[in-house]
This record gives sequence, C-alpha cells and structure tokens, in this order.
Amino acid sequence: MNLTPRRQFLRDLGISAAALPFFAGLPSLRATTARAGKQRMIFVFSPNGTVPKEFWPDEEGESFQFKRILAPLEPFKSRTLILKGLSNKIRGDGDGHMRGMSCLLTAIELFPGNIQGGSDTPAGWASGPSIDQEVRQFLQGRPETRTRFGSLELGVAVPHRADPWTRWTYAGPNQPVAPLSDPYEVFEKLYGQVQDREVLGSILDDVRDDLKRLGRKVAKEDQALLEKHTTFVREMEEELKESAQHQLDHAAPALEPGVSTENDDMPRVTAMQSDLLINAFANDMARVASLQFTNSVGSARMRWLGIEEGHHSLSHDPDLNEGSQEKLTKINIWVCEQLAALARKLDAMPEPGGEGTMLDHTTILWTNELGKGNSHTLDNIPFVLVGGGLGFKTGRSLRFENVPHNRLWLSVAQAFGHELKTFGNPKHCEAGPLALG
Amino acid sequence: MKRRIWMLVWVWCAAAACSAAESLAHPTVVPVNERGARLYREQCLSCHGAKGEGVADKHDEPLYGERSVESLARLIAKTMPEDKPGTCVGEDADAVAAYIFEAFYSPQARARNNPPRVELARLTNRQYRESVADLVGSFHKIRQTTVKGGLRAEYFQSNGMNKKDKKILSRVDESVDFNFGGDAPVDGVAQDQFSIAWAGSLLAPDTGFYEFRLTTPNGARLYLNADLLAGDSNRRDDSDARRQPATVDLWVSAGSEPRVGTARMFLLGGRSYPMRVDFFKFKDAVASVRVEWKPPHGVWSVLGAEHLSPEPSSSVFVVGTAFPPDDGSAGYERGTAVSKAWHEATTRAAVETANGVAARLEGLSGAREGATNWTESVKAFASKWTERAFRQPLTPELKASYVDAQFEAESNPEKAVKRVVMLVLKSPRFLYPELGEDAGDYRVATRLALNLWDSIPDAGLLEAAGRGELRSPEAVRSQAERMMADGRTRAKLRDFFHHWLHMEEAADVSKDAKAFPGFDEALVADLRASMETFVDRVVWSETSDYRELLLADYLFVNRRLADFYGMKFEAAGAADPWVRVACDPTERAGIFTHPFLLSVLSYHRSTSPIHRGVFLTRNVLGRFLKPPPMAIVFMDDRFDPSLTMREKVTELTKSDTCMGCHATINPLGFSLEHFDAVGRFRTEDNAKPVNAAADYTTVDGDVVSLRSARDLAGHAAKSADARRGFVRQLFQHTIKQPPAAYGADTLERLDAGFAEGGHHIRRLLVDLAVLTAGQGFGTQLSSTP
Repeated sequence: MNLTPRRQFLRDLGISAAALPFFAGLPSLRATTARAGKQRMIFVFSPNGTVPKEFWPDEEGESFQFKRILAPLEPFKSRTLILKGLSNKIRGDGDGHMRGMSCLLTAIELFPGNIQGGSDTPAGWASGPSIDQEVRQFLQGRPETRTRFGSLELGVAVPHRADPWTRWTYAGPNQPVAPLSDPYEVFEKLYGQVQDREVLGSILDDVRDDLKRLGRKVAKEDQALLEKHTTFVREMEEELKESAQHQLDHAAPALEPGVSTENDDMPRVTAMQSDLLINAFANDMARVASLQFTNSVGSARMRWLGIEEGHHSLSHDPDLNEGSQEKLTKINIWVCEQLAALARKLDAMPEPGGEGTMLDHTTILWTNELGKGNSHTLDNIPFVLVGGGLGFKTGRSLRFENVPHNRLWLSVAQAFGHELKTFGNPKHCEAGPLALG
Repeated sequence: MKRRIWMLVWVWCAAAACSAAESLAHPTVVPVNERGARLYREQCLSCHGAKGEGVADKHDEPLYGERSVESLARLIAKTMPEDKPGTCVGEDADAVAAYIFEAFYSPQARARNNPPRVELARLTNRQYRESVADLVGSFHKIRQTTVKGGLRAEYFQSNGMNKKDKKILSRVDESVDFNFGGDAPVDGVAQDQFSIAWAGSLLAPDTGFYEFRLTTPNGARLYLNADLLAGDSNRRDDSDARRQPATVDLWVSAGSEPRVGTARMFLLGGRSYPMRVDFFKFKDAVASVRVEWKPPHGVWSVLGAEHLSPEPSSSVFVVGTAFPPDDGSAGYERGTAVSKAWHEATTRAAVETANGVAARLEGLSGAREGATNWTESVKAFASKWTERAFRQPLTPELKASYVDAQFEAESNPEKAVKRVVMLVLKSPRFLYPELGEDAGDYRVATRLALNLWDSIPDAGLLEAAGRGELRSPEAVRSQAERMMADGRTRAKLRDFFHHWLHMEEAADVSKDAKAFPGFDEALVADLRASMETFVDRVVWSETSDYRELLLADYLFVNRRLADFYGMKFEAAGAADPWVRVACDPTERAGIFTHPFLLSVLSYHRSTSPIHRGVFLTRNVLGRFLKPPPMAIVFMDDRFDPSLTMREKVTELTKSDTCMGCHATINPLGFSLEHFDAVGRFRTEDNAKPVNAAADYTTVDGDVVSLRSARDLAGHAAKSADARRGFVRQLFQHTIKQPPAAYGADTLERLDAGFAEGGHHIRRLLVDLAVLTAGQGFGTQLSSTP
C-alpha cells in the first residue's frame, strides 16, 4: 500500500507545486492521489495577536531554536513548520478584528453590513467559503474520502452570539458555521445515537416483561394485538444486538461530568474537546476540524495562570509594559501547550488501517487573527504547522516577504489533491501556492 | 340552564376494570317468523348461506343492506330465486323479506349478531403528540393564551453597540410588516440607528408543518416556541449572554438588499407558542422587516393579527418524529392496529423526548445541576413523569421497576432520567391508555382526557380522581364542561369537522385557469379558512345548533372571496378579516352550498354530481353506500358535447347495476347543479337551463321532491337519519370506537337527547364523552328529558 503523501510523491517525481495544475488532469496522478493514505487537518485559532519577540525564531531554515511561546513544541520540532511573512491582505469594510477573524480562513472581503466595530466602516459576513469548508466539500464529494460529518467545528469559550468576531469558518458567502463550545453537545452529536441505542437495548427487556404481565389481564380478543407488539419489541432487540456488533474502532471517550462552558473551565473543556476530536478522527467521522479559542477580541481571564486581566485589554498595552507582555506571553504559551498536547495525543495513536501514528497523517495549523495585538496589524500573522497530514517538508522555519495568506490556502487545498488555482480574492493568488513541499 | 338529557346511574363495581365487552348484554327478543325462515331454508340458503353470509362460487356477497322490508319484498318478488324468478311472491316474499331483515340483513340485526366491542387501542398519532406535549408541559407553569390582536412592540433609540439604549414607545402592532425607507419608524427615534422588539404568542390553528419567512435588509432575529433565557434580549451586540438559538437569524446584514431566512416547524393546533422578533437598523440606507408564514393548507402571507397575541405563552414540546398514518379504514382514525413502522416511530419519539427532557432537566425538575438536591430532585421528577404518563398513582412495584431500578442501573442522574423517559414512553401502560392497574376514578379521568383533548388528564382531573370524585355522572359532567373551554377541545372538534367536510382534500383543488381565472392557491386557502370560520362560529355560538350548519343563509368572506364571488364587502378589522355576508336564501343554504365544499366535490372544469351525491349520502344524510361494483372513470370527451352534466351522469349510470346506489346518489348530486365547479351560482350549464329538480327516496321509502339546494338542506335538517349520521360520525371520531360497543342503543339514546336538546353540538360532545367515560363501571343509562 502506498502511504507516501501525494506532495512527497510529486516531489520525488521532480514536479514543483507551481507546475501542478498542468499535470492535474493526468489519470496516473489522479489515481495516486486516490490511493494515498488518509489526510487530515485541524485549524486552531487564538485571538489578539502574538508577542513577536517571544514567538518567531531568529533563524531561518532547518536549524532554528524555538522561542518561549513555541517551546512546548520541542518534542515535535522535526515535524513543525513555521511560516513568517504571511499577511492578511484583505481590506474593505470592517475593522481589523473583524477582518482578522472572518477573512482569516476565507481570504476574501466582508460584505457591507450593519455590525460596527471599534473603527472603520460597519460590515457583515465574509463573502466566500473558508478553506476548511472548501477542503471539506472537496473530500465529501469523493466516495473514497467521504466521512459521516466531513468536518467538525469545535470551540472553547466562544460567546453565545453570531457575528463577524465570533465566526471564522464559512460554508459559503453569508454562511458562517457555528462552532460547538459545549463538549457534551459534541458528544451528543458524535455518539448520541450509539448511547441511545445502548439504553434502548437495556430497557426493551423491561418493556417486554410488562407487556407479558398486562397481556394476561386483557380480553382474549385483544391479546393478539399485544402479542404482535411484543414481536416488534423482540425484533428490535435482535436488531440492536446485531448493530452492536458493528462497534466503533475506538470507543467513545468517557467525559468528566459537570464541566461548564464558562471561563474558568477552559482548560478542562480544551482537554475534552481535544479528546473528542481525536476520537472522531480515529473513527473516521471527519477529516477536517477547527478548534476556536474564544473569539476575535476574546477576553478570556486565565486565572489558572495567575492572570486576572482579560486577554483583549492586555493586548492593547504598549510593548514597554513588560508586565503585560509577560502575561501575553504566558497566555500564548498556554495555547501552544494545548497544541502540543493535541499533537502528543495524536502521536500516541497508531494510524487506524495505516502506518505510523495519527500525527503522521494529520496537520495541526495554529494561527491568529492579528500579527500583534497593540498595533492591530494583519501582517506577519502567526502560522505554525505540526504533523504530516499535508506532506509539507517540516522541521523548518521559513520566511516570506509579506505575501498574501491566500497562497498558503492554495497550498493546503492542493496538498489534499484539490487543484484550486485561486482561493478567496483572486488578485492575491497570482503567484500561486507557496512551495512548502 | 339545566338541560340534563342523560341521567347516568353508576353502580360502582368492586371489580371496576371488568372488560368493557362483558357489559354489552342488550339482547333483543325477536319473534320467530317461522314461515319466512322455512322459505329461506328451502329456496335461498343454498346460495346465500345460513346467515346470509354468501356461498363461494354461487353468491358470495353477504346479504346486508339498508333497504326496508317492503323494498326487499319487492326485490325478491321480482328477481328471486335467480333460476325461477316470480315463484316467491306475495305473502311468501313478504315473509322472507321480514325474516332476513330481522335475522341478519338490517344494520340492527348485524349489530346484534356481531356485537361490536370496545377494542383495546393504542394512542393514535394525534393522541401521542398531544399526550407528550402535555406531559412535558405539566412540569412547566403552563401559560397559554387565546387573545388575538398582534404583538407587543417596543421601539428603542440605539447607541452604537447598545441596541436598546432608550425606550421611546410601546404599543401593539397587528403584524410585523414595515417598510421605513430611510425614515425613523416613530417620532422621537433617530433614523440612522434604532431597534424594535416584538413579543407575544403565535396562535396555531391546526396541527401540521408551518413555514416562516423573515425578510429584512437590516438585522433581525425570529424566535419561535423558545422560552426566554435570563439576559437574553439582544440588548448589546457584544453581549455574552446565553441565548436561545434563533429560529431565523438574520442579525448581520450584507449590503442593502433584503435577505430572506426561512424555517419549518411542526406545531400542534389549538395551542399558543411564544414568539419574538428583534430588529435593528444601524447606518443602513433603508430599513424594512416582514414576517410571513405558510400554515398547513395555506399560502404565504403576512402573519396577521388573527394569529398573533400580545400575551405571553410558555413553550410547547412537540414531538417531531414522523409516524405512519393511523388506520382510517373504518371512516375514522383509530389505534386498534400496530405495525413495525409504528413501533419504530414510537421508539424514535421516545428517544427524541428523552433527549428533550435531558436538555430541559433544570427547568423540569426545578433544581440546579450539581446542587445538593440535584439527584433527589431529578428522581422525584422521574417518579412524577411516570405517574402522569401512566395516568394513575404508582404502585410500589411500578415505582421500583420503572424508576428506582433505572437510577440503580445508572448513577448519573441525567442518564438515569433518560432511561426512565424512554422506558415509560415505550411502556404499554403509556401507549395503551386502557391498560394498567385497576384504578377506577383514574380510568374515568383518562377517558375524559382522551375523549375531549386526545391527551393525558390534567392536574384538575387527577386531583378529582384522587379524591374519589369521579363516581357520579354529575361530577364527571362538570369536569367535562370545564374541559370544553380548553383550546385542546376546540382543536379536536375542528379536527372532526375537517374530516367530516373533506377539508384535508383542499390540496387537490385546482381548476382550469382559463375557465376560472383568479381561482388560484390563495383563493382556495381563503375558501378553506372561510368555511372553517363559518363552522367555528356556529359550533362555538350560544346555540351551537347543528341545523344552522345546514340551513344558514350567510357566508363569511374576506375581500378576495367577495371580489371573486361577486359579493358585497364592507371593510373588516385586522384581527378578524372575515365579514358575514347574507346570501340569497333561495340560492344557498348552509355548509354544502359553501363554495369550498362545492369546489372540492367538482372536477377540474365541470361539476361532479356523483362526488357531491356520494358526500351528501354518506356524510350529510348518514346513509351507507357499498363500494361501487366496478370502477368507471368519468371521461368528459366520450359524451355528446351538447349534453349537460346532469345528462351525462344520467347516461353513464343508467344500468340497473349502477342504479342500485345511483338512484340515491344522483338526485342528491343533481340538486346542487346550480353551482359550478368553483361553487358560483349558475342558471345555465352548457348553454341549457340548469335542471336541479329531482326526487330523492329516503331509507324509509318516502319520496322527497327536491327542486334546489334549499329543499335539500330543509330535508337534511329535518331528517332523523341525517341527524343520527352526524351523531355517529362525531362519536366515532371522538371516541375512536363504534357506538354499539357501548350498548346496542347508544346511538339512539344519544340521538334522542340531541334532538330534544336543541341539536346542540357542544352538548352532544359532552354527552358522549361522559357516557363512554363511565363504560364498564356498571353504567346504566336512562333518559329524562
């Protein structure tokens, strides 16, 4: 079985990514794509920009050192790819936060609208789909990559409202996708039916007993009706037994009960959502996922780190305020730790029906709405990729010269075999996908 | 006013749950007609069987029907025996006719030979949905309203993210249908940023799928059938308050083009549902907002004041699972059969409800999750749930197996309660209301609730049963009278009239657009609503007189109907678009000259005297018709094009085989020939004058000369058969069992009371609900006018 990721395969053939569209129609290449192992991707969002000096490595290329924020990824250094110099070039309506959030995965302008931010003109939803949904659509359109859900949209402490600050994935123009922030709700979505079937299986016995007991009391002519009913109950019991034999590859995770979706439970919710996500991947319920920490302008109070202030207000403090910079660094380290934990869990799971670990077949991408909080810049947005799902050449810190992030999404789409020539606003796609292979 | 038609003397049996079938002994002593019996044995039995059941390969059609003895005798004399007609005549024919009539031919004889019994029945689909809605609802403070008139509206000045900065005006708006252009909605509000909050209830007339459409270029959210959460008021754009998911969310605009959001929802008729619309404009060029709906059998229109209430309601739990249709083969829906599909549907519905309960557990149990009394409160809820679903107090054994054992099997209270809910809703004790422990008073309460609401007993009934108060007819009657005022009774009666008047068939009414321009879907929806309004007002008027349904010389119309039918129309109010318009009493009379019914009972381009005649025979005059011996399609182009419809039908059905039934059907259908395929009055058909005169022969052999619809209505209003037919149909629809199962003379007694008591429809409903509620408890009936 050929498990060589497609990108690797193409590189071995000596074909550059830029030349790919010309070869895309060749049947031999198509067939190879179809036979490649599973590819998965997780998009992770955190808000309010990063602390550049604690984030970007000083070195470029294969020998580089992690700064404090990315240090938790040390065990995965050879499987990490850091991309500096990508900018969100989308302008138009909406303030920096709104565009930072809603144009991040969509790479296209917002519609004019009625939601007023802290500056600029009011705006509405993004005018195109996000890259995760674009890939989902592509994968769901082919029988060999189709899964029950296609994608999962998860959140941690995302507020209960829908607007351009709280939504980053879009099924299409004006079609934001709401993330599920409650792990119990996620559980219900993934395993609810299974659980319901289990409960049903265990109560039908009681139903049958009572039918028997009551059957003795009714008139003779009515007994046939209850007997018929009893037959249906028995048939259902047998059907349930049979379906129970088609077990999931991986049993549903046991969730800690009583966890709220409030601020202080963020660490526990994060762990639960990660477990649910990995479990869903292991059972091949989806190939694409997103995990959204709070929202654009998110104001988590990370009291478990000893930080009482809200994240957003800290991010407005000037660089000279060392206390605030230190807190922002700690907040970003915490998010990176969650990323590392996700990678660790994936790496501990053998790839179902394949070789290596699940991390070898999954790419986690961490990004942010802004490059830096206090300047609200959309340049130099953090992009860190961990894992082997896309077949990019990892163990590198790359620098680009202020290139539109549309090009990264083209690379992602093509890594899945989806030969897009443009994504989002086409004028930012002229130089084609980034060569990451 | 004291009008007790029935005096019920109940002797409370110790063995109260003795099967209903056992108390069915009403033997009728039949004088033996020796001569007729002998002749039958000698000349008829070999072909017709000992009890008229027929003999295979000879004459396999059973000998039963509704001819009179005289009519039978004439038929025998003319046609029998088949090989030697004319040999059984005169007194012989009379004797055989009298014998078979008494022995097995007549409906009375059939009922006697084959006494119907009260069959064990499961909940019908309607009863299932109503019961679950009330079961969940019984743990809420139930707030329902019937007040009409629009929604409460609050107009606010906004200030940036603060959408409700300052309240400027409160009032009631009849609908949500505004186009403010670039202007302010009311004085005192700035034109560039404002918000409006509408709140109240939706009044759903019928059970079925409703569609809703919200249209705005600005920001708006529509909430339906969802209870307001604390802090949930769309006050600020950046609020983190926990919100109900909106039914339609158009909060974020996209340019100045109006956006449209739709939702589809299954609702139970006769109930009110909480409804809210939150709207805002922020620096958009223009502002407008509209809420439309498409009710079952309706067309898209602005949701108007007639179906909106400024009063609040609590949410209703509506089971969305689809059920296979109930058995309607007896002419009414009943639950005397089960199928695999039904069993699976009840399973899905049980799972759906269990998940719904788990999601609402704090509200239902009245405790906070994680509080010290959480487990205890959830368990108490589970006990009450079981008790209410079983419609009687729990015995210790039942509590142990249905509640305690489930909490032992599962330590997590939410999961345990899901087990209980599923188990209870799958239990035969819930699904078959007549099963269960022998709890006399509770059984009466159970039946009353099913009879009048298709649902479970409410707190009032359960308390009365608990106090042992449901043992006298007076007490039961007073409960029934209390229950009549409930919206659920109204919905159930409405459901009966839909069935009786073929109103479910409105979807099939379409007419030739060239022949009837303007007769479109919207007009059909209006016609249907017009007939509903008429029936509703007659039934719920003081006199509630059945005869008025047949004789009324007026219609309720709105502007569109008045224009189409050429009637005079004076402006109507918003909450009531229907205006009563007098008709020419020589033209129209009552329900079967309503243009809706006439249109339903017509072809695409022409009338159908046969459809009209069959409807009148069965539904209005209460007669039985055997299924046609062969199916004949009416093909208009096969006839001489110069014929009238009456002439075509006469030609088509002229054979003796056809005339067996068409001798009854045709004259009735012909009497409505003055109304064309859309129910407009006409004097010509195919350029010839309409001939609506016909002689109709009643069951008793009397000939009634009909010259018009008015004559027909007059006959129907006086006809005992018609009246008894109405009583029977209402009984069957309400009780879902044949009347004779409650005693061979049940129908006659109810009918006598109905006739003597002013033909009062609502009182008839009470009478039959009370009568059947006491069945099996040694009930005796006696009539005291």
